Amino acid sequence: MMETKTFARNKFLEYYQKHSASIKPPTQIEKREFGFLLFKEKVMIRHKSSKNSDDLTKLLTTIVPSDAYYSSAYYEKPEEKMEQKGWLGADLIFDIDADHIPTPCAKTHDKWTCNNCGTVGKGVLPEKCPACGEQKFDEKTWPCEICLESAKKETIKLIDTLTKDFGFPTKDISVSFSGHRGYHLHIENRAVQALDSMARKEIVDYILGIGLETGFHGLEERGEKKSRVLAGPGLDDLGWRGRISRGTYEFLLNATPEELEKIGLKKKFIEALTQHEKKILKSWEEKGPWGILMRGGVTSWKKIAQRGVEMQSAKIDTVVTTDIHRLIRLNNTLHGKTGLKKIEVPFNDIEKFDPFKSAIAFKKGAVKVLVSDAPEFRLGDQTYGPYRNRQVELPTAAALLLLCKGMAEAKEEK
Amino acid sequence: MKELDLKIEDMSDPILARAEQRIEEALLKAEVSTQLHKDEIEITSFPVAIMMVASTTDKLMKKRYALAEAKRAYNLLNEEENEDKILEIASAFNWKIRLADDTPPYEFALSFMDYLKNATKFQAKKWKLVNRVLVDGEVYLTKDDTARLLEEEVRAHIEKKLDVKGKFALPQNVADRVERLKKTFTKQKGKIQFEEFPAGVVISAFPPCIKKLYDDIRSGHHLSHIGRFALTSFLTNIGMTPEDVINLYRSLSDFNERLTRYQVEHIAGGRGSRTKYLPPQCTTLRTHGVCTNMDEICRGIRHPLAHYRKKLRTIKTEVPLERAQK
Repeated sequence: MMETKTFARNKFLEYYQKHSASIKPPTQIEKREFGFLLFKEKVMIRHKSSKNSDDLTKLLTTIVPSDAYYSSAYYEKPEEKMEQKGWLGADLIFDIDADHIPTPCAKTHDKWTCNNCGTVGKGVLPEKCPACGEQKFDEKTWPCEICLESAKKETIKLIDTLTKDFGFPTKDISVSFSGHRGYHLHIENRAVQALDSMARKEIVDYILGIGLETGFHGLEERGEKKSRVLAGPGLDDLGWRGRISRGTYEFLLNATPEELEKIGLKKKFIEALTQHEKKILKSWEEKGPWGILMRGGVTSWKKIAQRGVEMQSAKIDTVVTTDIHRLIRLNNTLHGKTGLKKIEVPFNDIEKFDPFKSAIAFKKGAVKVLVSDAPEFRLGDQTYGPYRNRQVELPTAAALLLLCKGMAEAKEEK
Repeated sequence: MKELDLKIEDMSDPILARAEQRIEEALLKAEVSTQLHKDEIEITSFPVAIMMVASTTDKLMKKRYALAEAKRAYNLLNEEENEDKILEIASAFNWKIRLADDTPPYEFALSFMDYLKNATKFQAKKWKLVNRVLVDGEVYLTKDDTARLLEEEVRAHIEKKLDVKGKFALPQNVADRVERLKKTFTKQKGKIQFEEFPAGVVISAFPPCIKKLYDDIRSGHHLSHIGRFALTSFLTNIGMTPEDVINLYRSLSDFNERLTRYQVEHIAGGRGSRTKYLPPQCTTLRTHGVCTNMDEICRGIRHPLAHYRKKLRTIKTEVPLERAQK
């Protein structure tokens, strides 16, 4: 039997020896900091630098990291300690991870074990252990198709906001599949480099709709007492206005009375909404539904619109974008949790992009593995599993995925 | 001054007097008046005043002067009927701005980058980018918005000009005027008391967000990275010793003395860059989900330390102080 970690590390080494040419170094490579996570020690080596792509290959093939990162920032001296690096600027980056999105699969494929009492559960990580109340868990996540589809949808929303509202040219934007549970979006141009953390925070808040008040976007009462009318944004309006309107439409179209109650609407108002359903639906062809039910007033409509905002906002990770010293995964390097590679998504084909096909790094060979427990999964056009305490022979990529996930032991390479 | 090829020695008395007056107005009334009928004096006295303020090493005085001059600029801009003039000034600061008077109530469209550079200094909700009309990289602005943003640009610009390293000699008659202003300001400062935090830590004066973090940690709960940073920086800033802060983290199951000590001391300014970190502002805490249970005081402040200071004042007059453990 082979030691599983050694096996995985050897495979990673093989990949970096053969495919170093595919690893496109980041722009201005000499100004970037590199970081590598070690296989066995699980320690990050930071403050590395490399002058060119040969240098980088040498680092990858000698260190053989489980994960390879570079800084979104540019530094005068990337090898120095943080305070002495001399920050010159940073690309604008976004991370969309299935962990931060409520998904239709409800993450039933994820397992957690309480570090304190050993209680085991499935699905989204609870805030505290239901048995002992501790908050430390060991988590086993799984990159499922539904999760990644949700993450992709969020990415498409993000692209929409970045291009239409912020006016970023598509040539400056690159989108990648992380190799695990999400997508990264990277904007490289001179102007964004100088943005400070505060400005980036404002961009994050804009994208997530944090602090948005619908009153600033035209949802308001107009006119004097008796001729008072409620007005709101239209479906085709630009920026957040149109988004508020479309989100409201989407929400009202699908909301159950329970959901309406949950956002704090009064029973009578909900009844009126149901009663006037047709009228409301029709109203979108003109001024929108805002003026139809005056009884609940502007407060009720604001509550509904606020849900619309949630539906339309792209669920990005707030920390990644505001951190101007962030290390991010290097394109075309392997992900230590899956053995898949981080790969750029063709901008115009994002809808059709298949992460479980495009991110496969190992296309040849097979490995005999002893699987302890694995769900059904797909790689390329093949579906595998579910397996439980079984020895199977799998194509290298599928075997490596289970090995990296700690769901199998390597037995023999074929 | 160099651009205008002027020497401070050659300045006439009316110019020097107006320069002194500008500064005095700034220090006493926080706003410099506009005296456009004496155009030449008005223009030339400005760089003279800059030199005078720059010659002092008083940071607060510099801040106040920059702010008051910026207010003067705002008033002038807001009254300006000619939109081209506003565009001209904005362009002098390298703003990417254009006329957009076909979309009332807006008159200008400004690149969001130039917008953010200045608007992030403002706290009112209307200045949040998410509450603006942003289309194709441009934020739509009224004339008043534009004047306000330019005021901020002017303020930062003047502050930069005033921030000169090293001393330079002024002619005696000018130096006398500066001395006089310094005295005026010292008297004025007596009125603006700057409170320091007392040595003791008063838990009941913690803002709700910090209280929650503090309670969580004491009951052995895990905190997010930013939560730990907010709590640690807050506590070290209100006078808790690094040792006491480290002890606080001791109750955690994954406590690592070496690592915790390094991080706490770093935040407290005892290591590395020796910068003492301030806790994040309220808006930042809100973004990262740390803000919780907002109370009445929260509505009037934008920084957790301001909350503490304010609450402390009310407590002081009421109950005896409850001290932090150990």
